[in-house]
Amino acid sequence: MQKFMDPDKRMTARKAIERFVNDGESFVFANCLYSMPLALAHELIRQGKKNLMAFQQGGIEEIDQLLLAGALDRLALAYNFRAGGPRITTPLDRALKEKQIVVEELTNHTLLSMMKAGAMGYPFIPVLSGIRVSDVVKRRGFMGDQRFAEVIDPFTGESVLVIKGYNPDFALMHVQRADKSGNGQLWGAMINSKWACLAAKKVILSCEEIVDTDVIMSSPHLTIVPAHKVCAVVECPWGAHPSEILGHYDYDFPFRALFFGSCANPDGAKAWMEEWIYNIADRREYIEHYISRFGQDTLDAFKAKSFKSVEADYGSTFFTDWDENGYSRNMGMNMEEFVAMLDEKGALIHGN
Amino acid sequence: MGTNYTVNELIVSRAAKELKDYELVVIGQGIAMAAGVLARKTHAPNSTILTEAGMFGIDPFKVPLHIADPTCSKGFTYSCDMIDIFTTVVNRGYVDATFLGVGQIDRWGNMNSSYLGDPEDFTIRMTGAGGAPEFVGYANRAILTMSGGTFVDKLDYFTSPGYVNGGNSRYEAGMPAGSGPTVLITTKGVFKFDDDTKEMYLAGLHPGASVEDIRNDVPWDLNVADELESTSLPTEEELNIIRTFAPEVSMGRKLQLEVVMNKVFALLSKNA
Repeated sequence: MQKFMDPDKRMTARKAIERFVNDGESFVFANCLYSMPLALAHELIRQGKKNLMAFQQGGIEEIDQLLLAGALDRLALAYNFRAGGPRITTPLDRALKEKQIVVEELTNHTLLSMMKAGAMGYPFIPVLSGIRVSDVVKRRGFMGDQRFAEVIDPFTGESVLVIKGYNPDFALMHVQRADKSGNGQLWGAMINSKWACLAAKKVILSCEEIVDTDVIMSSPHLTIVPAHKVCAVVECPWGAHPSEILGHYDYDFPFRALFFGSCANPDGAKAWMEEWIYNIADRREYIEHYISRFGQDTLDAFKAKSFKSVEADYGSTFFTDWDENGYSRNMGMNMEEFVAMLDEKGALIHGN
Repeated sequence: MGTNYTVNELIVSRAAKELKDYELVVIGQGIAMAAGVLARKTHAPNSTILTEAGMFGIDPFKVPLHIADPTCSKGFTYSCDMIDIFTTVVNRGYVDATFLGVGQIDRWGNMNSSYLGDPEDFTIRMTGAGGAPEFVGYANRAILTMSGGTFVDKLDYFTSPGYVNGGNSRYEAGMPAGSGPTVLITTKGVFKFDDDTKEMYLAGLHPGASVEDIRNDVPWDLNVADELESTSLPTEEELNIIRTFAPEVSMGRKLQLEVVMNKVFALLSKNA
C-alpha cells in the first residue's frame, strides 16, 4: 500500500486536485453534513473532473453541485438532504430522470461498514441482519451482488447479513487543524470520518489552520487521520462553509437556502454554479465575493465563540533511566560502572 | 378560550408524552428533536439524547439542522462515531426509543423514505434510508410522526421495517423480540398497533378531526379503537418551550424555506 512520507505536503487546493485526482476514480467524503470539504469539492468541479464515483452517507449540497457539474456517474448514497420536500425537483431527481447517474442505495450504517471493513483490510463485515427485509438490501444497484450477502455464522449456524469492504481511490476531508505532514485533527461530530479516511487509498486534506507538530504531539487523541495516509495538506480557512466546524463557524442556512432555492430550475442552478464556483479562483476569493455580496457583518455573525476543551495532560517525568546525577534509577550505577559491568560479564565485544 | 397552536406544535406536544424519564433515546432533527427536548424539559429530565453521528448526551438549546450538527449543544458527554452508535449502542439493545418522521407508511408500520413513483423508473428521490432501517429495526420502541406523508396499501419502496407482514414476521426476519413502532402521530390523530396482529388502528383524535375524515386518508379498511383518546392541546408552557427552542419546527418546512428565502433576498438587495 502506498504511504505518503513527505514531511511537508502543503499545497494549494488546485495543485492537490490536479496531482492526485484522475477521471473515473472513486472517492469518499470523509466528512458528512459536518465540516464538509466543500472547498476541495468545488475544486473537483472547476477542474472539470469526470466519471467519478462518490460514496456519501449524508449529502447536503455537494452531491447536487457535483451532479450539476457533470462530475459523477456513479453514486453510493444513504441520505441526501432535501429542502422543501418532494414538491421541489432537485438536481439529483433530474440526474436520475435523465439517466446521468446510477445510484446504489445503502443505509448510513451499511455504507460506513463498507468503509470500516475496507479500512481494516477485511473482505466483509457483519451488519444488523434484520434490515434484510428492506429494499435497500433486496433491490440491486450498479454494484449488483458486490455489496450485501448472507453467510452462516460458524458458531450458531444462523444466517448473518454481511457487507463487502471497499477501498475508494481517494478521500476528501476537512478538519480543524493539521501539521504540514498531514496529521489531521478533528473534533465535533465524528460521524463517518475515521473509517472513511482510513478506507481510502489516499486522503486529500484541507484544514482551517496548519499548526506545529508540537501541538499534535500534545493532543494525539484528536488526530483522526495519520500523516502516512495523507497525500496533500491544504490550509483553507472557511474551507467547509456553509457547513459548520466547531471552534470556527456555524452553518450558514440563508446561504444554503440560496443554493436550494436556485436549484428549483436548471437556469437558476447554472447561475449559482457560475457565480460561486466557476467564476471563483479559490476559497479566499469565494469568501471575498461573499463579503462583497452580503457584507462582512453577515459573515462575522457565523463566527464561533470559544468553548475550550480542558487540556489532557500528556506529561510524565520525562526522565531517561539516568537521573540528574548520572545514576541509573533501575540499576543503581553510573555509566562508567555500567560499561565495566558489561565487560566483566563478557557482554562487551572488543573491536579492532 | 383560546390556545393558539400550529399543527406541528400539537404533534410535538403529543409525541413528547411518549418518552419516559430515565430513557436513552436516539433522535434526528425537526419534529422528533423538538419532542425529545420538550420531554426532557418537562417530565423526562433524566433521559439521555444521542444522535447517530456520535454525539452522545447532548443538551440541545436549538434544533440541530441535521444529525451531525454539534452547534445545537454546548458540548456533550461522549464523542464516538456512527459505527459505535449502530453497533455498541443500537445493536447491543441500549436504545429505549427512537423518533422518526414518516414519508409513506403501510398498515404494518413499514415505511418508505427513499423513492416516490413507479418502482421500475424512479424520478423523485426523497432523503433515502439514512439511519432509519436500523433504528426502527433495533430500537425497543419507535415513535413515528407524520406531517406531510401518506398512508398507502403498498409502499413504492420498502425502506424501514415496521411489523413487515404482521404477526411475528418482524421477529422472524431478525429484529429483536418485542421491538417495533408503538405509535404514529399524524396531523389528525394517533394510531397504535394491535398486540397480536400488529396491524395499525386508530387510537385517538386530535381536536377537530373525525373518524370519517381519517378513513378517507387511509386506503385499507382501518380498524378503530372502541374508545378513542382525545389529544390534549399544548399548554402555554409547552408552546413557550417549543417556540423558543424550535421556531422552525413550529412553522414547518414549507414556511421556513419561504421565510429564509425572504431574508436572503433582503440581504442580496441590501448589498446590491
